[in-house]
Amino acid sequence: MMASRPQTNSLSYQIPSILLNAVNIVPRNNGAPALSLKGLRCAVIEKTCLRIRMLALFFVVVITSAHAVAQVDNLVKQLEHAAALITDNRDANAEKELTSILRVAPNEPAALNLLGTIRAKQGRLPEAEKFFLRAVRGDYKYVAAHMNLAHLYMLMGQPNNTISELKKVLLLDPGNAEALERLARLLMARGAIDEGIKALEDSEQSQPLSVKLLLLLGDAYLKQGKAAKAEARFQLALDQQSEETDAVLGLAQVSLLKRDANTASQFLQRARKMVATSPDTLYRFALVALGAGLYEEANGTLLAAIRLNPNDPAYFLALGTTWIKKPDLLEAEQAFRRALHLQPDNPTAQMYLGYALLEQKKYPEARHWLEKSLQKDKSVPETFFYLGQIAQEQNDDLGAIGFFKQAIALDRSYSFAHAGLGASYLRLKNYALAQQALELSVRLNPNDAKAHYNLAVLFARLKNPERAQEHMQVVEKLKNAKPNEPAGAKPFEPR
Amino acid sequence: MRNQMNQLELNHSSQGERGFVFSDVSCSLVDRIPCLRTIHKITRNNTKRTRIRLTQAMRLALALTFSLSFSISAQRASAPRTSVVTFEEVPAKRTGINWVHNNAHSPERHLPETVGAGCAFFDYDNDGWMDIYLVNSGSADFFTPTTRLKNALYRNNHDGTFTDVTDKAGVAGGTFGMGVAAADYDGDGWVDLYVTSYGRNILYRNNGNATFTDVTDKTGTAAPGWSTCAVWFDYDNDGKLDLFVSSFAYYDKTLNVLCSDDIKRTYYCIPRHYKPTASQLFHNDGDGTFSDVSKASGIADSPGKAFGAVATDLNNDGRIDLFVANDTVPNFLFINQGNGKFEESGLAAGVAFSASGKARSGMGVDAADYDSDGWQDLFVANIDQEFFSLYRNQKDLTFTDEPGEIGPATQFLSGWGLRFFDYDNDGNPDLFLVNGHPDDFIEMRSTRVKYREPLLLFKNTGKGFQDVSEHSGAVFTKHFSGRGMATGDFDNDGDLDVLIANNGEAPALLRNEGGSRKNWIGLHLIAMQSNPGAVGTVVSWQAGALKRRRLKTAGGSFLASHDSREILGIGAATKIDYVEIRWPSGKVDRLTNPPINRYIKVVEGSRVK
Repeated sequence: MMASRPQTNSLSYQIPSILLNAVNIVPRNNGAPALSLKGLRCAVIEKTCLRIRMLALFFVVVITSAHAVAQVDNLVKQLEHAAALITDNRDANAEKELTSILRVAPNEPAALNLLGTIRAKQGRLPEAEKFFLRAVRGDYKYVAAHMNLAHLYMLMGQPNNTISELKKVLLLDPGNAEALERLARLLMARGAIDEGIKALEDSEQSQPLSVKLLLLLGDAYLKQGKAAKAEARFQLALDQQSEETDAVLGLAQVSLLKRDANTASQFLQRARKMVATSPDTLYRFALVALGAGLYEEANGTLLAAIRLNPNDPAYFLALGTTWIKKPDLLEAEQAFRRALHLQPDNPTAQMYLGYALLEQKKYPEARHWLEKSLQKDKSVPETFFYLGQIAQEQNDDLGAIGFFKQAIALDRSYSFAHAGLGASYLRLKNYALAQQALELSVRLNPNDAKAHYNLAVLFARLKNPERAQEHMQVVEKLKNAKPNEPAGAKPFEPR
Repeated sequence: MRNQMNQLELNHSSQGERGFVFSDVSCSLVDRIPCLRTIHKITRNNTKRTRIRLTQAMRLALALTFSLSFSISAQRASAPRTSVVTFEEVPAKRTGINWVHNNAHSPERHLPETVGAGCAFFDYDNDGWMDIYLVNSGSADFFTPTTRLKNALYRNNHDGTFTDVTDKAGVAGGTFGMGVAAADYDGDGWVDLYVTSYGRNILYRNNGNATFTDVTDKTGTAAPGWSTCAVWFDYDNDGKLDLFVSSFAYYDKTLNVLCSDDIKRTYYCIPRHYKPTASQLFHNDGDGTFSDVSKASGIADSPGKAFGAVATDLNNDGRIDLFVANDTVPNFLFINQGNGKFEESGLAAGVAFSASGKARSGMGVDAADYDSDGWQDLFVANIDQEFFSLYRNQKDLTFTDEPGEIGPATQFLSGWGLRFFDYDNDGNPDLFLVNGHPDDFIEMRSTRVKYREPLLLFKNTGKGFQDVSEHSGAVFTKHFSGRGMATGDFDNDGDLDVLIANNGEAPALLRNEGGSRKNWIGLHLIAMQSNPGAVGTVVSWQAGALKRRRLKTAGGSFLASHDSREILGIGAATKIDYVEIRWPSGKVDRLTNPPINRYIKVVEGSRVK
């Protein structure tokens, strides 16, 4: 029976994260490189071949060189041999080796961990889970097994369990940057921004964060609109690594958040001269360009990012947005469809597609996607607003009013929803309510030409040509000023 | 029947004097041919469209057997019909229409070069067959033709061919022509021609002997400037046809703006660069002259960049209103106040701007009661990305834009000629759209928008419009630089054919194949007290369960003029219970159980059964 082993000398076999470490050699917390299993070949029955190939890409066996410990010398050699066999895709031989170890030491955590790895490679995830759980039962402090469990739960679609395992890892090994990064990313992806930030801040208090974690934290602050904190982290990252493009782009994003277009433009200009080979960096660049109104540049950059990684729905969502702004609604529609192909249940993609279709007057399909989006996420006022617009276009003003009111219930300051409400009352000839809603709308957003136009129509019908004219003048002024057209307005400049 | 035919022949002899009563001209000696053509066409359809040129002897022989033949055709007509109605492009080598429009495209990119051409179906020689008029460019301050350019008048030879009679008729034009409006402005029974131009317009009076006289100066209708569409209608219900002339922008060669891209390629500028002008209204004084009432009527208070115009009664008050499409400025809805004045109400009506308050590039227009609710609805075609609008009348001088399927189908198209008409004679007005981008370099700037664009046909299902272009003939797979578009039954077979005037290219004549498989009656309305165009007449008809009502509009489409006859479709019904004609004068004529599948003349105030 093996006693609990010191972490520094342990053999650690760890499954990498799905997204980050599939093809890279990732620095480990103990300094040993993770080996890529890019070349793993499928050696199992045909039926599961594809799945295993996919999994194999993500699995890395990490071998940490350890000083021989006398009493476990043979065992370590056996385990190292098994690990080497796994690396060589000789899983059957590895399994024989491990079985022989377990015959002697049935609860040997390292052997169980390796056997779990083989099962995971084989796509036999529940069996893998059992082995990993046995490994941590044998050695609760066995970080690699917890990490493997965390990865496994991601594969099994159990992110809560992943979070739980990553937290255990961080309790055992507070300096585990990989676990910290994955935990923070996962929490943020699930909308738990505060918790993600807290994890990073806690770590930051005990040791300086790596550039990667600083960027992650800066991004999280950006999401929360905390410009100063974000700026500080991006600056720190840049201090550590002066050629870090993402840090420069982060600072550009901060400037945009602070509505400082000039500074944003300067950072963007600086970023243009830097190397950006990762699709994520290109994506970030595109987001900044999009925010700065440089739609062409954003569009081109996203297309480049997609060439490098055609499987990220977020890229297609951003790409679709640039097409809307250019505008090319048909291309936007196609980009959103691609996003949905990659992630069929993404309510944001569904909503965006609904919007692109709505703008093309393809109302039945637009409604279909918006309703699907609503089934998944009822918290987005835009979804209700677009559904209201469709109802209005289809001459169902009572239905439209219902949607606009729901949008307003989610965001009382949503000027476009008030404008939509006013437009529907106008169509229903309820001029008192129309005036009330439209006037509130232009108070909330004086630059909404459509609301001013509807007020002009209203006053023309009320035989008040002066006020009608007044609002038409505002419309003309706004059209001539060519402001950034807000959502809900048609961003077109014909001819 | 024999007696009736004799009576009809007698009546026909007074044609041109407007003194005869309801006459079934389709069965008179000359005008019998429409009936015969119907029969002939059915035969032709059954023999893979083998065309037979009817000799006079054959016509007479067929005439003698008309009654029998007609009953056979009626039986055929009442059989279940599943065939699709299509439009077939009739090639120039078959029609003899060899005329080609010269758009005068120049490196200076003068905007008038993009606008023409117009076209008309009208019967200039009163033979009961639609002749064709085509408008060409000509001399202008920015253009000196190297060869003589002329408009063209093609006489219908009654056999699917046409003969160029332009010079003989004296209607060659010579101005930088735009559009045409045909109507009997002087009420002498002969249709006159008004040709709009960049420069000065021309009013050709029909002399009644296959020639015309230029009476522009005498009548005071030159309307110098840049005129586009013209509409003959009776705005003051005095029984005479007045004239509305759409004016585009202030323009001469010195005002031309040259637009170019980053690499110095020039293209036609958006009309936004030019100042608007007021359209014109001429009152017909009844003595061969007109008075310019543009200011007095209030029309001149609204300067615009007017293209298409349609005259119709939008509030059912018996007075004809005007809807005018403007390019880059708001559309106009001129509501006839009944006191010689018009009130522009486009903004309040909701037809002036897009839903977001943007003035669009309105070009072609038309009006019809497409939803059979008794109120005239409007259609306006815009440029690409702006979508076309179908404005449904809310019965209180407000409209809602409900384009349905038409919206997405027109996203990348620029629409000019267009027309509501019942192409399949099921009683519902369908919609035909002619498209083409104004700038021949557009494809350098846009991947989606093309210079030549497809035609579109929307069938009115009774619940909305359905795009049936794909199933309506090979011509819908072709692309055109379409502008003017006129409807007319040039082969007198009881369904409406289409004439398209293309910019810088030959026109296209599309024959309706199969529209007359459903039953119909054609009315040639002869006004006695009302205006000679019978504009504003409301025709109601019932055939079993099918009950319809149609207001006779004027203008519509773009730079074009249409067959003035009304074809009333009755679908599969084999008899018409009644046709009621409510004239602008207030007179009502009612025809009970009129014959079907033929044209009849209806004279205002006639005692008819």
